[in-house]
Amino acid sequence: MALPLKYNLRSLFLRKMTTLATAGGIALVVLVTLLLLSLVAGLRHMLISTGRADKLVVLRKGASSDVMSFITRDAYQAIRYLPGIAQTPEGEPLVSPESISQPLLPTKAGGQEIVLMRGVTPIGFQVHSNVRLVAGRMPNPSVNEAIVGVAAARRYQGLEVGDSILFGNYKWNIVGTFSSNGTAYESEVWLDVGSLFNNDAKRGCSGIRLVVAPGADQEALIRRIADDPRISLLAQSEIAYYEEQAVGARVLYLLTLVLALIMGVGAVFGAMNTMFAAVTHRTAEIGALRAIGFSRRSILASFITESVCLSFLGYLGGVMLGVCTIFAINSLLQGLAFQLPSFSTVVVSLRISPTSLLVAFGLAIFMGLVGGFFPARRAARLQVTEALRKG
Amino acid sequence: MIEIHQVSRLYRRGVDEVHALEDVSLQIPDGTFVALMGPSGSGKSTLLNLIAGLDQPTSGVVKVGAQNLNGLSEDQLAAWRAAHVGFIFQFYNLIPVLSAIENVEVPLLLTRLAKADRRKHAELALSIVGLADRKHHLPNQLSGGEQQRVAIARAIVVDPELIVADEPTGDLDAKNADDILSLLRQLKSEFHKTVVMVTHDPRAIRYVDQTFHLEQGVLVNGATAVEHA
Repeated sequence: MALPLKYNLRSLFLRKMTTLATAGGIALVVLVTLLLLSLVAGLRHMLISTGRADKLVVLRKGASSDVMSFITRDAYQAIRYLPGIAQTPEGEPLVSPESISQPLLPTKAGGQEIVLMRGVTPIGFQVHSNVRLVAGRMPNPSVNEAIVGVAAARRYQGLEVGDSILFGNYKWNIVGTFSSNGTAYESEVWLDVGSLFNNDAKRGCSGIRLVVAPGADQEALIRRIADDPRISLLAQSEIAYYEEQAVGARVLYLLTLVLALIMGVGAVFGAMNTMFAAVTHRTAEIGALRAIGFSRRSILASFITESVCLSFLGYLGGVMLGVCTIFAINSLLQGLAFQLPSFSTVVVSLRISPTSLLVAFGLAIFMGLVGGFFPARRAARLQVTEALRKG
Repeated sequence: MIEIHQVSRLYRRGVDEVHALEDVSLQIPDGTFVALMGPSGSGKSTLLNLIAGLDQPTSGVVKVGAQNLNGLSEDQLAAWRAAHVGFIFQFYNLIPVLSAIENVEVPLLLTRLAKADRRKHAELALSIVGLADRKHHLPNQLSGGEQQRVAIARAIVVDPELIVADEPTGDLDAKNADDILSLLRQLKSEFHKTVVMVTHDPRAIRYVDQTFHLEQGVLVNGATAVEHA
């Protein structure tokens, strides 16, 4: 039969300061773990939700992002009328050539960051149909107007509606702010470049976004583009493209786990120290319980339970701190900047996911179990007669 | 009946051997109140531990009621103690974070009683020791005498046949010591418990049926009956 939980809880309460100090150490580990996991979750969510299943990203073969890609006018023309591509009601293919630049822009906090500027033609706004204006208006074609994603507008100086920026020897007037359901596009500035190619065959674009017609064989279209020997392009679904961009998140996730484990080991020693002190302080109590008839297993279980309660207390504290910190980061700082493999910066809103909570919970319980096991084993191994003499 | 037959207990301390008990034999009939007396280091606590099933003899036989304690495993001894022995310690050994009634309930956690029944038994035990009105107090809110009464309630709550007490008056003033000895006497006379007590307290002789004197691990007087006024 187990000792009642209230025995453990009240014993923890009796040693308030020690309990708070140890739980505080565990809470800090939980907090840092939760913050990092929330960054990873926010980043993954943002990047993966940016991709749409019916869109393809077309890049030069060997390029892993728009930044490294270049597509000529001829190649663009070659794929524009391929079968399987959706069209506007007017019969224009939903194929958007896009030109990517990455200038440094000043942040409102006083720093400088690489921001992705996407040069688009009017068809681009129809290809990216999830882009919605939240302020101002859409740009007029070919008059050097730009719209700015809401995350970029919040983070960088001079990107409000009515502002203008100098870029590529031109002054661009900002006429609108857009959102796109929290996707990476919200960290970008979109310039309406009218026509990317004009009559100059040497000009090109960085990449192409296109929409696959409903019911069309997407894989066949991808194969067709890849197999065309004239253009040397590679198409992939937009979802797959952004999953590749999220590879940094996977590395960060692994680093987070390693860091959490290292911090966890430190907190384990804290918990162990507290529980060893508890066993020493309560030796006579343990002797009495063993004399009354409680088995070694009951004593072991009781002290491990106490240690797990201690770590659970730390977990609750860590989660509460984490929720407050994440709320503050998202609302006061408008999220955290994160650099993608393509070097452009995206603004990530931290997200507390059930998985993050579960991982932090597992870490806290692990700290409690390991930190409690050795002291509990010492308690269980006490000789009854020796323990009673310590009274 | 408690039967101790040619019991020896040897401890090893490094290369030294300490003979805590040597060839002790005695019998304690059921329902008697006995005191084990003797100077410090005489082996009386060792004998009490053997009778209570907290320790095993190096040689000889310890039998309590129908149960031969020799050769029982640690778990078997723990189960036997839980059902048959009540413990009273010099420093009470109450759990400081539990109230008086919760402390008394602790041994009942090892039984199959439901929570409500456990509470009823604990209240009854506390009323026997005269502390029904102090049941919600924590140990540090009680005097030494009251704490020892709670410990006695804890010892009797599972209705064991045997109660062992190790210096139960050692930490009490004269008035409280007399009260506790009277209470132990009452357990013997009214509830027919066998009470085995280790004590240095000479007042105890007035309350017990029998004393056993030990010196250097040897029983120096067998069964001296004590006359009661």
